[in-house]
Amino acid sequence: MAGSDVTFSRGMPVEIGQIQRELKKLWEEDAGGSTRASLMNLAVYCEGEAALTENTDLISAFTRDHACRAIVVAVEPDSPNNRAQAWISAHCHMSRAGAKQVCCEQISFLLEGSVKGVFPNILFSNLDSDLPLYLWWQARLDRPIDEQLLTWVDRFIFDSASWSEWKKPFALLREFPARSRLTVRDLNWARTLYLRQTLAQLYDNPENLPHLDCVQGWKMTCAPGFRSSAYLLAGWLAAQLKWKLVDAANLLYETVSGETIRGKIEEKEGAAVSRCEIACKTAVFSFSRDPHSDFFHADYTLPDGERHYLLRAGKEETIDLLDQELMMGAKHTVYLKALTAALPLFTK
Amino acid sequence: MPQPCTVVIFGATGDLTHRKLIPALYNIAADGDLPSALTVVGFARRDKTDDQFREELGDALKKFSRQTVREEVWENFTQSIFYHRSEFGDAEGYTKLAERLEKIDAERGTRGNRLFYLAVAPDQFEDICLHLKKSGLNKTREGSWARIVVEKPFGTDLPSARKLNATVSGTFAEKDTYRIDHFLGKETAQNIMVLRFANAIFEPLWNHRYIDHVQITASEPLGVEGRGPYYEGAGALRDMVQNHLLQLLCLVAMEPPTDLTADSVRDEKVKVIRSLRNMTGAEVAENVVRGQYAAGAIGGKDVQAYRQEERVNPGSMTETFVALRLLVDNWRWAGVPFYVRVGKRLPKSSTEIAVQFMSAPSVLFNKGGAVLDQNVLVIRIQPDEGISLKMEAKMPGAAIRIEPVKMDFHYGTSFGKASPEAYERLLLDAMSGDATLFARRDEVETAWKFIDAIEDAWHKPPAPPPLCPYPSGSWGPKEADELLQRDGRAWRRL
Repeated sequence: MAGSDVTFSRGMPVEIGQIQRELKKLWEEDAGGSTRASLMNLAVYCEGEAALTENTDLISAFTRDHACRAIVVAVEPDSPNNRAQAWISAHCHMSRAGAKQVCCEQISFLLEGSVKGVFPNILFSNLDSDLPLYLWWQARLDRPIDEQLLTWVDRFIFDSASWSEWKKPFALLREFPARSRLTVRDLNWARTLYLRQTLAQLYDNPENLPHLDCVQGWKMTCAPGFRSSAYLLAGWLAAQLKWKLVDAANLLYETVSGETIRGKIEEKEGAAVSRCEIACKTAVFSFSRDPHSDFFHADYTLPDGERHYLLRAGKEETIDLLDQELMMGAKHTVYLKALTAALPLFTK
Repeated sequence: MPQPCTVVIFGATGDLTHRKLIPALYNIAADGDLPSALTVVGFARRDKTDDQFREELGDALKKFSRQTVREEVWENFTQSIFYHRSEFGDAEGYTKLAERLEKIDAERGTRGNRLFYLAVAPDQFEDICLHLKKSGLNKTREGSWARIVVEKPFGTDLPSARKLNATVSGTFAEKDTYRIDHFLGKETAQNIMVLRFANAIFEPLWNHRYIDHVQITASEPLGVEGRGPYYEGAGALRDMVQNHLLQLLCLVAMEPPTDLTADSVRDEKVKVIRSLRNMTGAEVAENVVRGQYAAGAIGGKDVQAYRQEERVNPGSMTETFVALRLLVDNWRWAGVPFYVRVGKRLPKSSTEIAVQFMSAPSVLFNKGGAVLDQNVLVIRIQPDEGISLKMEAKMPGAAIRIEPVKMDFHYGTSFGKASPEAYERLLLDAMSGDATLFARRDEVETAWKFIDAIEDAWHKPPAPPPLCPYPSGSWGPKEADELLQRDGRAWRRL
């Protein structure tokens, strides 16, 4: 069986009605030379034919650590054609023990023309039964998703940094059925994970608490196109510290005790959020990372002197963000709180 | 190996003969499990010679055989196939058939053993049985046997089933009557009893103390495919639930039989059907959802609504989907719902039984509102016959993160040989005189009695429950989802 280390082609073309049979044949031909593994269904909804190849590349990397059945569905709703095509392929990697190849299946679809009702059916028809369903929505989220499909999704993954408008999709996200098993996972939120952990750790140190009780403002530096990352981080700070937004345009907040907090966001090439500074009456806590670095430089200016630490900042490649999100088991409660606090900052 | 015999197929030019019966007989022959003297006589109305008949069957065999057709085997097998032209109601045709069978006995050594296979619509049963009786073909000489195999549907309700059974039993004794339900011939259906009674680990858990509920699903992406007129008179409940799905339910729910004889097994199955809680009209509305497919998409293609199908009433109220919440009122299953659903134009072709065990106690990993998935034992009847068990496992890493994993057993790959088709097994059993996998008269009639109560509630005033539309390609109407949601449950992701 050809391993995906060799090629990122779409795979072998198959008739849509024969996918399961062809997959079965694929494994039978292999005659036990490798082990098929699957712990989840990873469904990807994307736009444009080119996205198929890009996602095949991503899934090849993803399956090194996460055994899954990948179902990649690319849509071209504006195409004059009205047709559906499918391909199957396998991603094989040597197991950690090194003894055997472990392989994962990928089923790719290109849906051209009207796709109403087609996507849920394609997914329902090709899931590996009883395993969790992670739906990675790479397209615009501008209309409600099929209700029956949503009740089947365990994690709804998206990257709000890729959107050009936020108000409508965020409103849709908040309408997802409250009782369903679904958890929303924003890769944009994942970009701020290490910064959030670092900021949270500030509050774990009793020495810092007297300073942090009187925060006066914060500053963030984000890369062009990643203002949404900074907004989510600001929303998280506000939600966790119970700051009330009083002036969205000027990023003015009010603490529970009535103090004013001033926020500022600058744009500069670099990481999504490359710098965050918390200014207190008696101290300044600053975290910054250089381009391409996996670490934050933490600089604390305290009354008794300055301190410097090097802290883990994580990677920002999509595959790393996805990996990070899948390793987290928690629900989306904190994210939704942060989103609620951040929503007024989004102007469109 | 069964004794040599002649299989007489009524309706020999029909679909069933070409797609299932002859391929099944060929495959048994190719596997070396048929007596060499076995003879097939096709009985039908059309004019045809033996050679023409053989040629047609040969063509069909290439399309429908489980195994690649080996010319040598087929050439040999084809010499044992004959064609007999007659109307089903023509007495002379049966007299000539009797003469021909005598001749075959003498020439081929089939010893007077006959298996009459009715691959015809039920309205032909009476004519055929009557003439078999008149011509003495139901009688056997010392040391030989005559049996009849009857294809479903065994009636359309209890009165018609009783009439059909009376017709057949007027000619053949119950012990010689084989009512075929091809679901029971499937390897995994047979394996249900093995799984339950040959393994010590399952049976102690197989009751209301450990099982939360059971789901039985039979889904297919196909629509009525030109069978509109038949389906209009049947519907999903009569077409699938009365026979196939209740039979599967019986195998899951029955008590251990005293032995493996046909009647011991069937006694236990009948007890299950008798234990099904009967429903009043109001209870039917509450516990049964009927649906009909609307337009939608299957496999990337748009498909039309049921009411737009050829030869279907545009205002049809026939259900193409049904979901039921059933209760088996006996000691073992007290309070355990059996959710059964069947439908056309659903996303997958799949027949499965899922036994969902109770959740682990709300301590340790289940503490603080965390809800872990239930263990699920899935018995896949078709396709990809096999068994899987879902359990929870810790993901590698410092944190305790629990995810479901699946242990999976596939018949297709585990034993190095393909499972025989259901018809192969059932034909062999009928020839061997083993009726275990065939429905008995009381099973059929008891099942109809249960189903009739639902049909009555659907069609009788004052307030029959609604027929819920669902888009083709979806998993049925939302009302079916709500049926489980009301109990705090959900249909499995298939």
